[in-house]
Amino acid sequence: MIDIKNLKVSVEDKDIIKGLNLKINKGEVHAIMGPNGSGKSTLSYALSGKEGYEAEGEINYNGENILELNTEERAQKGIFLAFQYPIEIPGVFTNNFLRTSLNSVKKAKGEKELNAVEFLNLVKEKSEKLKIDKEMLSRPLNVGFSGGEKKRNEILQMSLLEPNFVIMDETDSGLDIDALKIVSNGVNAMRSPKRSFLIITHYQRLLNYIKPDFVHVFSDGKIVESGDWKLALELENDGYAKFVS
Amino acid sequence: MNDLDKLKDHFKGFKNFDFISNESLQSRTDAFDRFCKKGIPNLKQEHWKYSPLSKDLVHFEDLKFSKNEDKSYDKSHLEAFDHYPVLVKDGFLISEQVSEEGLEITKYNKEYFYEIQKNQILDFNNAFFMPGFEIKIAKDYKVKKPIVIYNFFSKKFEGNNINNKSFIYLDKNSKAEIYEKNIFEGEQFLFFTKNLEIELEENAHLVKYYLNSTNKNTTIYNFIRSKLQKSSVFEKFNFSHNVSSCRDEIISDLNGRDAFVSLNNIQHLSQKCFHEIKWEINHNEENTKSSQFVKSALHDESVAAFQGKIYVNSKAQKTDGYQLSRALLLSDQSKFLAKPELEIYADDVKCSHGSSSGSIDQESIFYLRSRGISEQEAKKMMIEGFLAEVINKIKNENIKNIFYSKLNEINQSS
Repeated sequence: MIDIKNLKVSVEDKDIIKGLNLKINKGEVHAIMGPNGSGKSTLSYALSGKEGYEAEGEINYNGENILELNTEERAQKGIFLAFQYPIEIPGVFTNNFLRTSLNSVKKAKGEKELNAVEFLNLVKEKSEKLKIDKEMLSRPLNVGFSGGEKKRNEILQMSLLEPNFVIMDETDSGLDIDALKIVSNGVNAMRSPKRSFLIITHYQRLLNYIKPDFVHVFSDGKIVESGDWKLALELENDGYAKFVS
Repeated sequence: MNDLDKLKDHFKGFKNFDFISNESLQSRTDAFDRFCKKGIPNLKQEHWKYSPLSKDLVHFEDLKFSKNEDKSYDKSHLEAFDHYPVLVKDGFLISEQVSEEGLEITKYNKEYFYEIQKNQILDFNNAFFMPGFEIKIAKDYKVKKPIVIYNFFSKKFEGNNINNKSFIYLDKNSKAEIYEKNIFEGEQFLFFTKNLEIELEENAHLVKYYLNSTNKNTTIYNFIRSKLQKSSVFEKFNFSHNVSSCRDEIISDLNGRDAFVSLNNIQHLSQKCFHEIKWEINHNEENTKSSQFVKSALHDESVAAFQGKIYVNSKAQKTDGYQLSRALLLSDQSKFLAKPELEIYADDVKCSHGSSSGSIDQESIFYLRSRGISEQEAKKMMIEGFLAEVINKIKNENIKNIFYSKLNEINQSS
């Protein structure tokens, strides 16, 4: 699914990621854990092709190096980034945004776009599962949403777009226990043998709810240790000290 | 228009048109003399400093007036919803008069002239105007359907100057909605001035919409003087789209307690378009309220100017005045000129003003793109969302849809 080889990323001439190698097979859930400033968010932006993130190396996705593809092309191919801080956009209504997004992806895949009725039925079904209020969808995108509402909205987008590879950037930040459960349930419901996840997080807490197959420790732009989910527990007890040079 | 001798010849010829009444002749002549004394607007005059007119009027060396006798028009421009049409073609009212329970639409017949010292274009209009319309709403009457004013500018028009004067009057407790749009059939050079007087009696409510869209080579001056009596409301929604050169000026006098004026404008400009808004709100009585709201999206080398003034008379305590302008600069060459003015002589008032301009938020664009939406589409969504904040305040669904589809039309073509 994803095979990252010797990825180097710099932002404004500053090297942030310094040779990352990571292979994620179909259906696997990987967690990347690391201290503040280790380059975790840079990794998520680089994988989604954000402008200003100069990347070299290889990001092979289903056998294709996507390094030269722009953000929307990657999204249309099924790469999804769940934002740590979803952006508030006044004047752009959530419903309209969701439909434009879904139809853009469908169009790129050569699938039939949904009309208004088909879309509303689909979004109703998906949002009920995530306990998203209908009223929220008629508001401007993320404007005035609580932290929990914003993250649920991210998961709703994910469940509508049905991506193949999901990057979750600090999804647990700003969530209380109840919201965390709803979000985790949403993610777990999306787990499938065809879909892979990369979960980026500070804390082990989220991993109690979404159990990863592999855990990697990220420090100074590189993976310095890999293991199974028990590694997360170890980190929770001992901290990152022994991995930070 | 700089050559006074040429202008004087024009005025001589103009005076012979059959629509000019003997009664108005002296007032017209006085107005013309005032204009000649003041000369055309220039950038050194504070009142015209940010005006496209100060740059463009010099190009009209020879003014030519003309009366188009052909009263045909393209019916495809008529709105589909139920309404009272008011048809104005090349400056003249061509539609039939309306006279029914509570509503009267007739040819402009008022003899009312006044001077504003620093406004010579008003003098020009008073000298050269052709009769537009008078709309009068009777006491307690709520007009059942919108009135739509169509300003047709025909291809066959032989002149290059149209000046027009109209009047809207709402008696006590009456209500009306008026939508006005310009239809330019040709691309000839044209200088158009429009002078509209609005009077709202106690508790009257007027909502006026104006769509001024896509023209080339036309220099437009829209002037509105509105006078509001006690508890009356005047709401105005302007959509200025790709107008090559235009000044929209409104003076609103709040002369009765609890009167409220709300002025709203979208400026969506591209290429070298230049649109100027000049609003002056005079709070002359206690407990009056005003709101000014402008949103501008500026592409290419377009320029938008906004001058909004709130004047509060010493007796206008408890005034509530609000003003906000926000501009989206979509190219390095576009410009937004803002000049808010507050002149306050009362001590118990609430007045706020704000103005901002900036480029499109790149984080928002990245967010939309990360959901598979193309960069171009994402920008369109952002611009549309930004401007729609004004449209969302419109309560009439028909007009709202017209403005929305205009927004889409622009977005698709830009």
